[in-house]
Amino acid sequence: MIYQILNIFDQKVHIETVKAHCDIPCGIYDPIVAQISALTVVRMLDLMTEFEAKTPDRNKEYMNSMSRYIAVKEEHAERAKAEIRVIWGDYLKAQHLEKYPNAHALVHKIMQLGSKVRQTTDREQATQLVEAINEFAQMFWETKGIATKRAKAPYAPALELVYPAL
Amino acid sequence: MLRFLKVTGDSLAPEYREGDFVLVSKIPFFLVPPSPGDVIAFHQPGYGLLIKRIQNISPDGGLKVIGNHPESIDSRVFGTVRRGDILGKVIWHIRKA
Repeated sequence: MIYQILNIFDQKVHIETVKAHCDIPCGIYDPIVAQISALTVVRMLDLMTEFEAKTPDRNKEYMNSMSRYIAVKEEHAERAKAEIRVIWGDYLKAQHLEKYPNAHALVHKIMQLGSKVRQTTDREQATQLVEAINEFAQMFWETKGIATKRAKAPYAPALELVYPAL
Repeated sequence: MLRFLKVTGDSLAPEYREGDFVLVSKIPFFLVPPSPGDVIAFHQPGYGLLIKRIQNISPDGGLKVIGNHPESIDSRVFGTVRRGDILGKVIWHIRKA
């Protein structure tokens, strides 16, 4: 009865909200988006290399296609960084950091590599980004008590990714 | 002195759920200082008006607050709460029907 009265009052006057703030319904954290994004960066570099080799003319069609590869590379490098930042900032708690004291350094390394693959076309840096995010993924799943496995991604460039072994 | 607030979020579930109303007041703290177990509403910079349970009082007088859920955003994330940021203690909890 009292609830109904307050509810009607809320609908008419709007009672201020107080947040029992939680990352629910988020609580859904998964490094796979970052892993796939990093893989996409490698894929774009491979496509750029192939395209450059088979297209002698540096005409507007060439510029257009190359620009599109670069744009996707930029977007996915940034997405990988953003996804890792969210898990690092929102999910990892003090008890995780005590257990994984290297976490901050690993995230910093991912941020640096993420920037490097935007600035350059160095495939080696991009594969290092994939591997650093794999390392992060392994740590992430361990914090949840979930075993991991390594398997080749079922699409080009078919690099190994760390997956939860469910 | 007295304010009705509507709860959003689930960090204090199952005790406090989304849609519940609470009546908060500072008056109880004029009589008895905040103590562990009290559920309080407070202003947290960057997060707005939050509701959490006091877990303990730090040596510097700050309040360590916590939610029930492991993913709760609480003192584990933003540190202790200053007493001056407290809006009040929950003195009445009206559950969603």
